[in-house]
Amino acid sequence: MKNNVGKKLIGTLAIPVIVAAVLWGLCAANGRSMIANRTSFNYFVIYTAIVMITTMALSINLNSGRFDFSLGAMAVLASVLSSKITYSILGGGAGSAPLMLALNVVVGALIGLASGGLYVLLRIPPIITSLGVTLIYEGVSFTITGGKYVMTEVRSASLSAFAGNWYWPLSIIVVVLAVIVILFDHTKFGYDYKALQNGQKVAVNTGIREVPNALACYAICGALMGIVGFLNMSRSSNINGGSLSFGSIGIMFTAFLPMFIGGYIGRFSNEKLGFLLAAVCMSMLNSTFAVFSNQISASAQSIINAVLLVVFLIYLNNEGLLRKLLSPRKN
Amino acid sequence: MDKNDKLAVSYRRRQTLITVLPFLALAGLFGALCAIVTAKGYRLDMYLKIVFNEGVVLAIVATGAVFIYTLGSFDISLGASTLFSATLGVLTYNATESLPLMLLVIFAVAVGCSLFSSVLASVFHIPVFVTTVAMMSVLSAVAAQLITTYGGALGGISIPSEVVKPLDKPLFKIIVLVVFSALCIFVFNYTKIGRRQKFLGGNPVCAQLTGISLNKYAIIAFVMAGLGVGIGAFLTLVYTPSVTTTTAGSIGMNIIVAIVFGGMPISGGARSRIYAALVGGFSYILLNNILMLLVDSNAGYGISQIISAVFFLVVVFVTGINYRTQILPR
Repeated sequence: MKNNVGKKLIGTLAIPVIVAAVLWGLCAANGRSMIANRTSFNYFVIYTAIVMITTMALSINLNSGRFDFSLGAMAVLASVLSSKITYSILGGGAGSAPLMLALNVVVGALIGLASGGLYVLLRIPPIITSLGVTLIYEGVSFTITGGKYVMTEVRSASLSAFAGNWYWPLSIIVVVLAVIVILFDHTKFGYDYKALQNGQKVAVNTGIREVPNALACYAICGALMGIVGFLNMSRSSNINGGSLSFGSIGIMFTAFLPMFIGGYIGRFSNEKLGFLLAAVCMSMLNSTFAVFSNQISASAQSIINAVLLVVFLIYLNNEGLLRKLLSPRKN
Repeated sequence: MDKNDKLAVSYRRRQTLITVLPFLALAGLFGALCAIVTAKGYRLDMYLKIVFNEGVVLAIVATGAVFIYTLGSFDISLGASTLFSATLGVLTYNATESLPLMLLVIFAVAVGCSLFSSVLASVFHIPVFVTTVAMMSVLSAVAAQLITTYGGALGGISIPSEVVKPLDKPLFKIIVLVVFSALCIFVFNYTKIGRRQKFLGGNPVCAQLTGISLNKYAIIAFVMAGLGVGIGAFLTLVYTPSVTTTTAGSIGMNIIVAIVFGGMPISGGARSRIYAALVGGFSYILLNNILMLLVDSNAGYGISQIISAVFFLVVVFVTGINYRTQILPR
């Protein structure tokens, strides 16, 4: 029993500890600090929240065989609408950030629901529906913003205060993690989701209602991407409304590596906790890139991220073979 | 005629309609473009040239990609691969001033990138889609680095226009399109390669149990796609002899739209068709140009994209109407 707990603990913490040791060591060897001051710590926590929530949103539908390209477009559209509404009510005054966050969640859930509704109604493969939905949402954002950056409606003292205090994004991380764990691991909705994920036909034949479950998944994804949109706004103080022709899908690709790392950690504990730890790893990597920004260009960062993804997947998909090769031969 | 016969006739009629719908859409869009351009008093020949030049690159790259999509896989890195091949082609020409060498490099790089993706997926058992996502990041990043190093992010890198100007003729491009399409149609419809790829796409377990190697046919599919990318990269340079970081940026996603627009299911299998890429590629470019003409303000780009997406979903919905299942599709 003790052994089992130890194994789980080591399995859960091994990757984050190794990543932290390597990256801290790298920074220290060059006389630098990965997180030098409070501002970089604030960004570290915000980036962790962005990656964790995007990864959760990506995995909810992807684990059920529903590929969704529209995640980025949903985040942008929810942010554009919520910032415009908030500005029209409060004019950038006190309470803008909480109202914007609440609206981002509600608007995000509604556009997610609309996306799921289209999928259920048309009954065409989700990947194709998501292509159409991405184009529509990008088009709507572009039309509202005229293809420009949204800045006046986003900048407010309230939002700056949010971005300047690490405990706000940390609170979001805790709340989102708790809600997602409860929803997917401890409710009837979650049990139905898992049944449909592992045996769609059988689950439907046993009476599980697939359509409401799928719609709820899309709504949850939308709400999560609404939060991501809000966090991105607080980080950069603007929204790029000019993405067209699938320009918004890049956000999704940042979540692939943490999704696979989270899945691996999930074998030893909980997949959602795995997503958090994977997000922490990605955030440490991002902070290290920031430290060495003079030496490592944006192109080099993309290459490093892609290589890490491939190397990790090579390990993940050939684990058995590697173990066989590395274990001592028995005669 | 009993009830079953009536149902069979109705099914056959719907099937015929579904088969001809992409062609009708292409003809309708072509007619609409001609009518709108004429009504607005613009030069029709100029618009047709624009549509043809944009459409031919998308159609050729998408035609090669049909082989990958037939297997039920998909490759999101083809746009980045086109950019990377064109970038290395330009750098090669500028270093050697040799057009044949530039062509050789373009094709070698395009096929090499495709092969690398497929081998990585086959040897290390990585999901093809994830491999191509990683390839997309790497190729775009390396190309961007080369372009900014040798030419600057905005201006990009270029070859002298007189080098490729003699080839910037509709006849040359039509010949290239016809030859590549004929090759693809032959391989796809008249050899065991195409038949086996459709079998693998339709039922991979059953196909592999009959002794068909998924890895072998995946590699062939990626090589065919690489050829398409090579031709696409070369024709891009023929049309515009300069490369910037945004060149061919949207091709990767437009291929998926074009293939589906042409009436082919994204899941591949027996209903895969080479002509889907040709018909869908030109239809999509025609539709985009029509919408640009109709909504010509800055915000109009957004509106035209919304209309284009709705049209896309309607076409897919209608062409898939005979394949509805009780459970939700995945």
